[in-house]
Amino acid sequence: MIRVLLVEDDRDLRTTLRDGLALEGYEVSTAASLSEGLALWTHARPAPDLVLLDLGLPDGDGETLLATLRKRDAVPVLVISARQADGQKIRLLDAGADDYLVKPFSIGELLARLRVALRHRGTALKPALTHYEADALVVDLAAHRVSLRDEPVHLTPTEFKLLARLVRSAGQVVTHRQLLADVWGEEFTEHTHYLRLYMGQLRAKLEADPADPQRLLTEPGVGYRLSEPAA
Amino acid sequence: MNALTSGRSGWSRGLQTVLTPAPRIGPKRRLLGSAAALALWLAAWAGATVLDHHVDLANQAMLFVIASVVASIWLSAPAAFAFALACTLSFNWGFVPPRGSLGVDLERHAVLLMAMLIVSWLIAGLVSRLRAQAATARDAARWAARLQAVGEALRDSADPLQQAEPVAQALSELGGAPAALMLLRDELPQADQADAVWQHGTLDADERAGLWLCLRQSQAFGPGTGRHGEQPAWYLPLRSRGASYGAALVRLAEPEHAADGTRARAQALCDLIGVALQRAVLARQTESARALAQTQGVRNALLASISHDYRTPLAVILGAASSLQSQGDRLSSTQRERLAGQIVDEVEQLSRMTDNTLQLARLDAPGVTLRLDWESAEEIVGTALAHARRHQGERRIRARLEPGLPLLRCDAMLLSQLLDNLIDNAMKYSDGPVELVVRQQNPLPGEIGDAQIVLAVRDRGAGVAPAERSKVFEVFQRGDGAATARGAGVGLAVCRAIARAHGGELKLRPRAHGGTSFELWLPVLPMPQEEGT
Repeated sequence: MIRVLLVEDDRDLRTTLRDGLALEGYEVSTAASLSEGLALWTHARPAPDLVLLDLGLPDGDGETLLATLRKRDAVPVLVISARQADGQKIRLLDAGADDYLVKPFSIGELLARLRVALRHRGTALKPALTHYEADALVVDLAAHRVSLRDEPVHLTPTEFKLLARLVRSAGQVVTHRQLLADVWGEEFTEHTHYLRLYMGQLRAKLEADPADPQRLLTEPGVGYRLSEPAA
Repeated sequence: MNALTSGRSGWSRGLQTVLTPAPRIGPKRRLLGSAAALALWLAAWAGATVLDHHVDLANQAMLFVIASVVASIWLSAPAAFAFALACTLSFNWGFVPPRGSLGVDLERHAVLLMAMLIVSWLIAGLVSRLRAQAATARDAARWAARLQAVGEALRDSADPLQQAEPVAQALSELGGAPAALMLLRDELPQADQADAVWQHGTLDADERAGLWLCLRQSQAFGPGTGRHGEQPAWYLPLRSRGASYGAALVRLAEPEHAADGTRARAQALCDLIGVALQRAVLARQTESARALAQTQGVRNALLASISHDYRTPLAVILGAASSLQSQGDRLSSTQRERLAGQIVDEVEQLSRMTDNTLQLARLDAPGVTLRLDWESAEEIVGTALAHARRHQGERRIRARLEPGLPLLRCDAMLLSQLLDNLIDNAMKYSDGPVELVVRQQNPLPGEIGDAQIVLAVRDRGAGVAPAERSKVFEVFQRGDGAATARGAGVGLAVCRAIARAHGGELKLRPRAHGGTSFELWLPVLPMPQEEGT
């Protein structure tokens, strides 16, 4: 059974989420504050497989707990936030959150994000995801091969690096900064216009209608997300 | 901006020339005047010599009288008197017997000489008085022109503080020593705070205290005012209706500068700037009152939107949820599903309205900052399409993008919100297909302007009546067919606020064959240079 630690101060939302998750077969432990969450995290044995973290907690900001968790472990962290400030989303993702949900959100949305985060669990330990397959697109990172509807697709080295980075986090949002740093290098993290151009080229090669993408999805102001792989 | 600056400096220059003191009679002119007087005397002497023994002595004397009268036109009064005396004495010496001496033989000659001197002096006195009067009139006219120039410069200047320099200069001239000004920045403070005033020129502590007293009492101090006459300077309030807006220190170099007429002039100048300062304070107050009214307007609109737009979805949610709560076991599973679906739909609607309302409030606040980045129109459109699919679940929306569009400099979140609203709006008010079109509009040949990107959301709905076209972008307006459609109250207003925050504009265009096109026009900005790709 998969153990989820839910840190959320609103009682009603906490109960609803706990029941919703329990119904899907997760084992949920709940905390109503930062200190309670930290205590549960430290003492719970076996440790939770995933943390659902609200930001505005009575005894502090969830961001501090995220920093503490990230220092020790690679446990997936999903942030729940009532704040719409997009600067904060990017900061959280860059600080190591696996994904974020802005309140209000539906239980379906939460479960989908949860599944993606769990699939990536432990990627730091296990060999990274090297094979991606969804909707007739196949990417084999090890063999450096991309094919669409059984036809090989030719990508330039930069296009391939960009796609490979998204494949490694398939289903998850990757921020502009992370993409630029991993594909072009740390000194190019401000050059978002590179991303626009190369993403446009990738879409032209991989999407049926580049203006209505089904695979390479945009998170406006934050980054990109490669649609979830089949399987 | 340049024209404005140069215009203002032109004004200042004009003011400078008016305020420059009139040239006093220089030594060069004085020498020239003396030479001319000498020439006149020589001419009179020559004439008298020529006429000697031909005419009567009295006629010869007339030549000298004429010389001294003519010379008095340009000579100063003492010089004219001296010249008349010199003419009389030289005539006596040269022509009145016994010649070669100042003695007089005959009594009638003595009378002649006396009459000659008296007439010359009388005329010299009259001429000099006339000249003094003319000089006073000229001075008054020049002063009037100077006041007018200062007044006009103050009237044309947005900030009267900029005009303090020429006023201080004019006051310095009047007093013969550097004058100083203290101008209120805004309202008169309770205590004498240095940061409440703007100071022009140097002041010591006593002078500053004097100026504050003068400002608070709105009364002049100093010689001739009947208050603190022992002071070596005038303290003059910068008066306007009912109050003073500063004070001037006019230092007096010599006691003779302390004439009442001079003080009246200084006070007139001070009052000019006082009136200008009051006008500036009033203008600022008007501006802040207008800003307050605007804030109030936005707040009222938001409250109206909340009270109207929020009540309906809340009523639907409460109805559905309470029905599930109390009648759940008696409802069929289809009914339960429908009620739950209503709740989800209405909550999404509420959530969107909340985002719009918050965004509108944010964009209306002064000093709002956007997170600008280079974005591709394709991506923004793609995001909007994905949102529309998720919420509307239908496929009657199509996108068409011109190839080779440049990147946009914009805030992607805001632009997505704008397109979401426009699409939502088009879906609500029409049943036919909705088109999302992006194209570049280059300026026509001969037209001035830059290229623009046009993002248009087009529908085939009932359209917007001409009378309502200007109003749809105002908060809390909606089309007539809106009896069933809800929640557009803030939507278009926030769209326009987003467009304007990007330096663009949101336009409404009726389409041929029916329907409406909402168009966002954004300027195309030059891209950063490529390097190291």
